[in-house]
Amino acid sequence: MSGVVVHLPRGSGGTDGGAPCGDPVTLRLGPGEVARFGRGSATVPVELRLDDAAISRLAGEIRVTDDHWQLTNHSSTHSYLVENPEGAGEYLRVAPRRVGAPIPFEFSRVVLPTRGDVPVSFQVFAPDHVYLDPEAMGVPWGNHTVTAYSLDETATYFLVLVALCEPRLRDQSRVAVPTTPQIVERLRSHPACGALTARAVSSHIDYLADEKLRIGVPDGPAEHGKGERRNGKREEVVGLALRFGLVREEHLALLPPLTGARGRERQAER
Amino acid sequence: MTPPLGLGGTTECDRTDLLPPGYRVGGWVVTGLIGSGGWSTVYAARPAGARSAGGRPVGARSVGTPAGTGPGPAEVALKIMPTAALAPRQARRIVESARREVELGRRLGHPRLIGFLDTFVLSAPDRPSLDGAIVLVMERAAASLREFVDAGVPEADRGRLIAEICEGLSHLHRSGWVHADLKPENVLLGADRSVKLSDFGLATELTGTHGYAPPMGTLDYLPPERWRAPLGELGVLVRPTADIWALGVVIHEVFTSGGSPFTGATPVARGAAVQEYGAGRAPLRLDHALPPFWRDLAADCLAPTHAARAPHTADSLLARIRAARQETPVTRTAPGAGRRHGGRARAAVLATALCGIAGAALCADGVRAAGSYAPPGRTGVATGAVRVFNAERGCQERAERDPQCSLGLAIDPRKPYAAQNVVATRVWHGDVLAAECELADGRPIIDEEDRQSTRWFRVRLPAGSAPSAAWLPAVRTKDRPSLPGCPHPAAAP
Repeated sequence: MSGVVVHLPRGSGGTDGGAPCGDPVTLRLGPGEVARFGRGSATVPVELRLDDAAISRLAGEIRVTDDHWQLTNHSSTHSYLVENPEGAGEYLRVAPRRVGAPIPFEFSRVVLPTRGDVPVSFQVFAPDHVYLDPEAMGVPWGNHTVTAYSLDETATYFLVLVALCEPRLRDQSRVAVPTTPQIVERLRSHPACGALTARAVSSHIDYLADEKLRIGVPDGPAEHGKGERRNGKREEVVGLALRFGLVREEHLALLPPLTGARGRERQAER
Repeated sequence: MTPPLGLGGTTECDRTDLLPPGYRVGGWVVTGLIGSGGWSTVYAARPAGARSAGGRPVGARSVGTPAGTGPGPAEVALKIMPTAALAPRQARRIVESARREVELGRRLGHPRLIGFLDTFVLSAPDRPSLDGAIVLVMERAAASLREFVDAGVPEADRGRLIAEICEGLSHLHRSGWVHADLKPENVLLGADRSVKLSDFGLATELTGTHGYAPPMGTLDYLPPERWRAPLGELGVLVRPTADIWALGVVIHEVFTSGGSPFTGATPVARGAAVQEYGAGRAPLRLDHALPPFWRDLAADCLAPTHAARAPHTADSLLARIRAARQETPVTRTAPGAGRRHGGRARAAVLATALCGIAGAALCADGVRAAGSYAPPGRTGVATGAVRVFNAERGCQERAERDPQCSLGLAIDPRKPYAAQNVVATRVWHGDVLAAECELADGRPIIDEEDRQSTRWFRVRLPAGSAPSAAWLPAVRTKDRPSLPGCPHPAAAP
């Protein structure tokens, strides 16, 4: 648990005073820390600068509380939307002048209205949500020993993780971890995640490695190619998830059924 | 009491899995349920047969037997960890946890660790869900520190319990192990209320300066660095300073009926507060119920980083506690024993109650600074002068006038020695006060070392103070000047 990550995509603004306009921005906030967002100015500094004339100098504020975050809307006229990109249309409307609205989503997209067709938006990740261990259900949990790296078993990243672990879970042998195209193919018939792109799969794996499991970055030489590093990362994610029981046999049920043809094909591959 | 190692259990059927009293497990007969957690269920049991020598395996470590028993334990605790009906990966984690407990139990016997007697695999063909379960046979404890803490630990027991936890940690750390899940639930108390650390399911043997534990823990006891710790191939890195942090939390709980040093309504909120403190964005705010010595000790245990905590080893903490407690004989007889149960009710008259009222210190006008009214000098305190003595050792060594170490002077020595009966002027260890007269039958005061006295000295306050004099309890000085008796005060003089 280490706070939230705010990500502003390329072309929407920048950090105040610092980076050239248009570069993507990533902010990490620990518990109790605050980031202000808006158009900003010399007298109204903001941590997250959003370039749009329709956005106030100080449009709002993000504050990290416990394992989630709160949104304060400094606009006196506009509501802000907080969407859950994984929630099949789940969203919250934060009314004008609302202070400290708690945001329950692990993944959020904060959407600010503009005069144009394209609203300005940025993402906030809250990877610290705590989940009970399966057998701790139904008992007071406050003093219980819990797994410190808990995963949302309904999230897309978990589905990707199960797909990554599937070959080893099925036959318990040390076969290669599936590649990104193999994951995309494996999840294609999934009712909700069938349209997952290779890029999305890669960012889910990065999120798992960097924010959820916080895989230690080895002090290895920098001459490794990027692809090689990514492969190492994916091996490591699978190894840890299996070793510490974060993914278990029962989770295979989350994956679409292996169709006969593909099942045979997979068998043939080995 | 409940070993709450949670993972991999099948909750939906565990109620029907409970063993009835009289059920035989190896050489033992179940007498009752103690508790159950995610991974395991713990039963009380007695040896099968009058003297079941067969039940005690060869090579079992002899442990401190409960009071009033013969050579073998009359009662044991059986920790039963079922593995049937679990997928291989789940079972492996339970086996791993049991392995840690067994290894530590076999190698590290100590009076401050719960005694480990035996382990075997349960053969119970009549109960398929328990067939093949791992059984750990352990010394039976009478209670856990959690029950004690929730009820309010009696004043007289606090220091001893903390010292004994420290003894257990010291032994573990010297032997190269980290407990990794220290909390009041895992501090068991024997029939004689002596401390027995237990639940070594996450305990880790160090290689060099650190070891790796499974990525599990109890949120309220995790040090700040654990919240950001990466997960490595072997688990998460643990060092003895993690136990020291947990010890700091436990010390705080012992003095505050279970209150955490970090504010928040939930463990997650308190975890966030721990991180804010660890990142230097919030100060440590310890409860004023902690006497100065224990505040200092807890603050050292709760140093925000591993590096800052590292000098405070279990050994060094234990030495400090022993030194502080040695100022008076540790073994007390009648008065100490009597106070065990009435400790909380009498807390109001304890001089401790006046230590560390930070608010009062705001208006404190240093008595020592206004030295004109009292004869200074280290040697030969003049008749009529009394040098303030603070039994808290941490306060004796302090050069600066820490508000936590200040002592109060009473307005009326026959009223309760409490915050509303104290003048604004505070005094510190070593201050020399001018005593005018003494009162033999004031309110009885007991200090941190259990010295008790009804004698009070009326001392002059610096010029301009109102009232012009106040009362120092005789237990707050070692000096016994011969003074005239004070006229019985109608109120403050």
